Amino acid sequence: MSGKRIGAFICHCGGNISDYVDEEKVRAAAEKESGVAVAKTFIFSCSEAAQQEMIRTIQEEKLDGIVIASCSPKLHLTTFRAMAKRSGLNPYMYTQVNVREQCSWAHRHEREEATGKAIHLVRAGVARTRLGVPLTDLRIETTPAALVVGAGVAGMRAALALSDIGMAVYVVERAAEVGGRIPRWGRMFPNDRDGAEMIGTLLQAIRGREGITLFTDAEVVGKSGSVGDFSVVVRVRGVEEITLRIGAIVVATGFDPYPPKAGEFGYGLPGVVTLPEFRELVAGANGQIRYGDREVRNIVYVYCVGSRQAATEGHPHPNLYCSRFCCTAAVHTALLANGIDDGVNQYHLYRDMRTYGKSEILFEEAGRKGSVFVRYADDAPPVVERPDGGLLVRVRDGLLGGEEIGIPADLVVLVTGMVPRENANLVNVLKLPIDAGGFFNEIHPKLRPVETVIDGVFVAGAAQGPKTLAESVASSMAAVSKGAALLLKGYVDLPPLVAKVDTERCTWCGECEKTCPFDGAVEKVRQGEKEIACIHPALCKGCGGCVPVCPVEAIDLEGCTNAQVKAMIDALVREAV
Amino acid sequence: MDYDVLVVGGGIAGMESGLTLGDMGYKVLLVEKEVSIGGKMILLSKVFPTLDCSSCISTPKMAATAHHPNLTVLTYSEVEGIVRKDDGTFAVRLLKKPTFVDPAACTGCGDCELACTVAISDKFNSDLVATRAAHIAFPQAVPKKAVIERAGSSPCNFTCPAGVKAHGYVSLVRSGKYEEAFRLHMEDAPLPGSLSRACYAPCEGQCTRDEVEGKVPIRGIKRFMVDSYYERHPEPEYGPPEARNGKTVAVVGSGPAGLSAAYFLARRGYGVTVFEGGPEAGGMLRHGIPPFRLPKELVDRDIRNITALGVEIRTGTPVGSIASLNDQGFDAAFLALGTMEGQGMEVSGRELSGVLESMEMLATGNAGGRMDLSGKRVAVIGGGNVAIDSARMALRMGAGTVAIYYRRSRAEMPAHDFEVQAALEEGVELHELRTPKRFFGENGKLVAVEWLSMKLGEPDASGRRRPVPEKGSGVTCPADIAVLAVGLKPNTRPFANELGLNRDGTIQADPETLATSLPNVFAGGDDVTGPSMIIEAIAQGKRAAFYIDRYLQGLPLSGITFDARLTSVDGKEVLDRGDVPPSARAPVVPRELPAAGRSRSMEEVEKTMTEEEARYSASRCLDCGICSECHQCVAICPAGAIHFDMREERKTLEVGSIIVATGFQLFDPKRKPEYGFGEYPNVITAMQMDRILSPTRPYNAVVRPSDGMAPSNIAFVLCTGSRDCTVDNRLCSRVCCMYSIKQAQLLMGALPLADITIYYIDIRAFGKGYEEFFEQAKGMGVRFVKGKVAKIGETLSGNLRIRYEDIHGDGGPVTAEHDLAVLSVGLSSNPEAFGLFPPGLLSADPFRYVREVDEDLEPGKTSIDGVFVAGTASAIRDIPDTILHSGAAATQVASFLQRKRAAL
Repeated sequence: MSGKRIGAFICHCGGNISDYVDEEKVRAAAEKESGVAVAKTFIFSCSEAAQQEMIRTIQEEKLDGIVIASCSPKLHLTTFRAMAKRSGLNPYMYTQVNVREQCSWAHRHEREEATGKAIHLVRAGVARTRLGVPLTDLRIETTPAALVVGAGVAGMRAALALSDIGMAVYVVERAAEVGGRIPRWGRMFPNDRDGAEMIGTLLQAIRGREGITLFTDAEVVGKSGSVGDFSVVVRVRGVEEITLRIGAIVVATGFDPYPPKAGEFGYGLPGVVTLPEFRELVAGANGQIRYGDREVRNIVYVYCVGSRQAATEGHPHPNLYCSRFCCTAAVHTALLANGIDDGVNQYHLYRDMRTYGKSEILFEEAGRKGSVFVRYADDAPPVVERPDGGLLVRVRDGLLGGEEIGIPADLVVLVTGMVPRENANLVNVLKLPIDAGGFFNEIHPKLRPVETVIDGVFVAGAAQGPKTLAESVASSMAAVSKGAALLLKGYVDLPPLVAKVDTERCTWCGECEKTCPFDGAVEKVRQGEKEIACIHPALCKGCGGCVPVCPVEAIDLEGCTNAQVKAMIDALVREAV
Repeated sequence: MDYDVLVVGGGIAGMESGLTLGDMGYKVLLVEKEVSIGGKMILLSKVFPTLDCSSCISTPKMAATAHHPNLTVLTYSEVEGIVRKDDGTFAVRLLKKPTFVDPAACTGCGDCELACTVAISDKFNSDLVATRAAHIAFPQAVPKKAVIERAGSSPCNFTCPAGVKAHGYVSLVRSGKYEEAFRLHMEDAPLPGSLSRACYAPCEGQCTRDEVEGKVPIRGIKRFMVDSYYERHPEPEYGPPEARNGKTVAVVGSGPAGLSAAYFLARRGYGVTVFEGGPEAGGMLRHGIPPFRLPKELVDRDIRNITALGVEIRTGTPVGSIASLNDQGFDAAFLALGTMEGQGMEVSGRELSGVLESMEMLATGNAGGRMDLSGKRVAVIGGGNVAIDSARMALRMGAGTVAIYYRRSRAEMPAHDFEVQAALEEGVELHELRTPKRFFGENGKLVAVEWLSMKLGEPDASGRRRPVPEKGSGVTCPADIAVLAVGLKPNTRPFANELGLNRDGTIQADPETLATSLPNVFAGGDDVTGPSMIIEAIAQGKRAAFYIDRYLQGLPLSGITFDARLTSVDGKEVLDRGDVPPSARAPVVPRELPAAGRSRSMEEVEKTMTEEEARYSASRCLDCGICSECHQCVAICPAGAIHFDMREERKTLEVGSIIVATGFQLFDPKRKPEYGFGEYPNVITAMQMDRILSPTRPYNAVVRPSDGMAPSNIAFVLCTGSRDCTVDNRLCSRVCCMYSIKQAQLLMGALPLADITIYYIDIRAFGKGYEEFFEQAKGMGVRFVKGKVAKIGETLSGNLRIRYEDIHGDGGPVTAEHDLAVLSVGLSSNPEAFGLFPPGLLSADPFRYVREVDEDLEPGKTSIDGVFVAGTASAIRDIPDTILHSGAAATQVASFLQRKRAAL
């Protein structure tokens, strides 16, 4: 049934592929496949020049399908679909074959085998393309409204920005008050602006906008629909449920401060506090820092509490990550303490001082103001004790040749990091993946840092990973930029690679509905005399889960039909040359 | 409004914000000063902490930027100034720099790069290797178009009156392309043989290499080029042009001006007839310059370059009037009569036999005739080159003694000093401050000259001090022959009734177009300018041909520039480029006949360089203008895309808002001389290491520069130029720890046996996945040593001795030996951002980054309403943070534009 003219383009990816795969062999093998009219290699097929060359080839050779053997489709599927479109080819007549991650990177130092595997994969790609049919995107009208989950500084700023560009905005905050963590933390680095004041400014601005609706003491409890046209259910004050129609969601649920375990660096002893607790103490201080009824003269900061932890037997799932804000926050807090009481002695027990970028200046200044910095080795953490009424911190000082010193302290501040916020319900409702540290995962840290695998749902601020205030705000506005790009256009085109029901064969047994993970995607409808399944293309994600469970084989997946999969398997098991 | 948004800078920040705004539906203009968008990221190997291939992440963004329907990309362009108007929009002055390649025609094939004869440092490979003046920036460039790097005209090219591309043929000879060199010369001047002997080479006078250890001997190189060509091609390789336009031009005079005009007109398809009154063609080349300087066979061969085109030279055919030429049906005429007559001297006894005009003697000698001067005492009067030639000719005609008498001193002599020197070496005497008062004769024959002594008075109009006679200074010396060489003039008397002439007999002609008082008559060469150089006469002939052609095509003579060369490069700038070879390369000593034997022989005095000498000499060229204009790219380009006449273009556009995404600068490690960068070859920068590790790497392996060996013990020196008040950068550059860890991991893959040590102050692995990446490196065996490096020295083997304070080991200063040191250079602010606006308008933070007026809540907002900043222009950021910041800036722009729209 072929008769198609297919082009096979094999990418070197600089040396990424060609160092381990014999490109010329793959090209020669591809050229011999039935239906392949032309086979070429490219140094960087994603480069502008190569794309131009491919377009020229598609047009000159009058191709009606192409296979590109390069990297993961995660990276370049859309790149090459767009290229195909520019050439006049239906973008779904393109198959990407991943010979980089699956061949060259997986089988380094096995050139022959990697090459053989690449040949088989390309053959399978050709087989799939031979049976392909042109498909048209599904166009969805978007709703010019957005939901922001979380009314911390990131969420509030995002709401204002969305409103600026003309969206109706709903903000849902779980707590009774807006502002998240910072209103209680006093002056924030690096500009010493008061947290409460900043939140106050934002709240006032939000209240002044007609287009922003703020729900506090509220939770998102349901979500249906798809990108551009979601329905979400918001439960307010635990009872009332409101359904909102929106086009995009910005998740800005923030973080929790790391809660030290009892006894961790003396936590639980009187005088041992966390950095957020100390921030409140400093914010409330008046001419003198006091803890309980005592004046504080000696402060010892212990850094990396809850961050950069090593896995141990007793602690198999530590926080491996660095919380990034805490070094700067601690030196800044020390400067605030200096500002209140010039006479305090401050000792900083740190591992690596991560006052990156311009924050270096705060580190320098803290040193000038008298803060003493003692570096401790990863394997020799400080010990916080209270031997006889007073706190004592013992640490080995590298600068003294590893000699142990004891620092008497009125107050020990545990410089605690960030942990993901407890958000099980929301994670469940939005079906957002999380990373190894428990924060929401972006699609790609560089290409798509605020987008998630759920189209139309964006992450912002510390919910995605530890960030400073300014970084959280920047990321929330980046999320807005992606939401705006989606909604301002007025429509969104979805790939048509969805499940399709053969209405003749279907007898409605309901198996497909049971297996479908997407709410509302499968619906029972009446067609003439019988009941059959109807799959909503906008809600179907094309996962294919329903295809094998159908007892009468009435479901097929567009772009990846049973026939195509069988042809690919046949191609894969064929003998090598 | 031309665009909603202008984005300045096409790095990742500019591309990301531009693309996002384009997706929102705004019309975006993105301006990038380099030839490709992509910024610095496209040059990296992989990116931390995912080890994604950097190209693979950048290229789709670059392609998307180039193709986005709402984005217009202007590369190789600069924003010269931005003015905010009263209505809140901005007027943007743009400069499009010429690439000298038509982007629509260029296919990016790279043939020009292969043909180019000028090597330049490849800045996209961090100067590790060379590329060519004609090149494509890098394989993934967008747009992938060639660019020809030209800093201006090379001084030698610029100074040549005829526009002969000295740098061009020198670079071709350097590349062994002798025939191409000759053909290039023929594009600008058709008498290369004569020039290779007798040109006074103003090009050499401008040679920048003279500032180092001596000029490039350009004429000597040309001489080699001509000789090797003429040896292989006794006759021209071409015949008359096929396309003839049916029009005819008469050229009067067969000297260099007339011959050149004839050549260029014939190439344009005109029928050209050259009228020569004398028996042989060549003018001064034939009659004025003695054979020991210019052999006449060479003049004959040069003339065949012209006659091969079908030009007819009618010798023995003086032209009596313009009217006679009109009568013969010529459509136009060019008068190039030269200056063949002596100026004469009003001295008593001038009529005596034995008192000669210089041209009488030279013409006789040059025509192969002899005057018997055996044993005679010859006095030559004058101080120009003609006087010198006359004196040397007299020696060769057997004169007993030859003395030159000049009324000023040697310093004022118009003759070139090397000519004077040659004459003195041959035995000519020089009497300064002497002028003849009277010639004494016996029987009508000269027997003595009375000389007046002169002294130098006030400077005259020419700036030279005027000679005034000293009273009562007469002295009489015996002389048999007196040669008057005191200046030449044209014989224009036949045309006196038809043309406007000057008082000195020269023809009145427009200096630009060479048009005379008659519409179809042009004049040039010595008969217009007075006596000058050969190359000047050739220039005049070439110019005449250009304007005669326009005249005969009916085109206006004004409003067009005949000479549109780029302005000359300043030699000082060339020397400041820093790529002058540090070791002096002595000039080749020219070879000549020994002075003793040569003074009686007509044999050529100067010798031709050997091939080796010529190529060595050519290789000393500093490529001042970068591109040499050798035009090999023009010849090879299959698309005809190369246009040397492309020039800067300027325009002013109106935009609604602006994103400044001008990025950062890398720290120059030469500012830390204690690290030895530039001095020790095995000290490299991390950017160089990234190139070495990149998929588009310059070498196919990781090697150290000094000996190409694989390094086995590599050191990374962190905080080079960061956290360092000695170089005025107290800030942390944020990315160096991570990129060094990345490189260490990649090196462990490339060189599994190598030891890698990272010297650090603090490891700042703070972003998502960074700490894990750091731990992974430790697990792989990368050694981390806390201690800032104080100094790097070199051992005899090229290894490096690194001195640091061992803070976490045993303490104290330690010296370690490594075979390669990588300086993890920091990033600093790029002051270009501030030049976009009127001074002071765009405010800076204390570290010279663009200040964000409210960095907590309004990321990207600057001190100017409607102007936003994205990425590293406001603070050093890693790639993820740059992308986020750029998204925020895009949101700011959208908010700004929507608010403005709402307000209207």
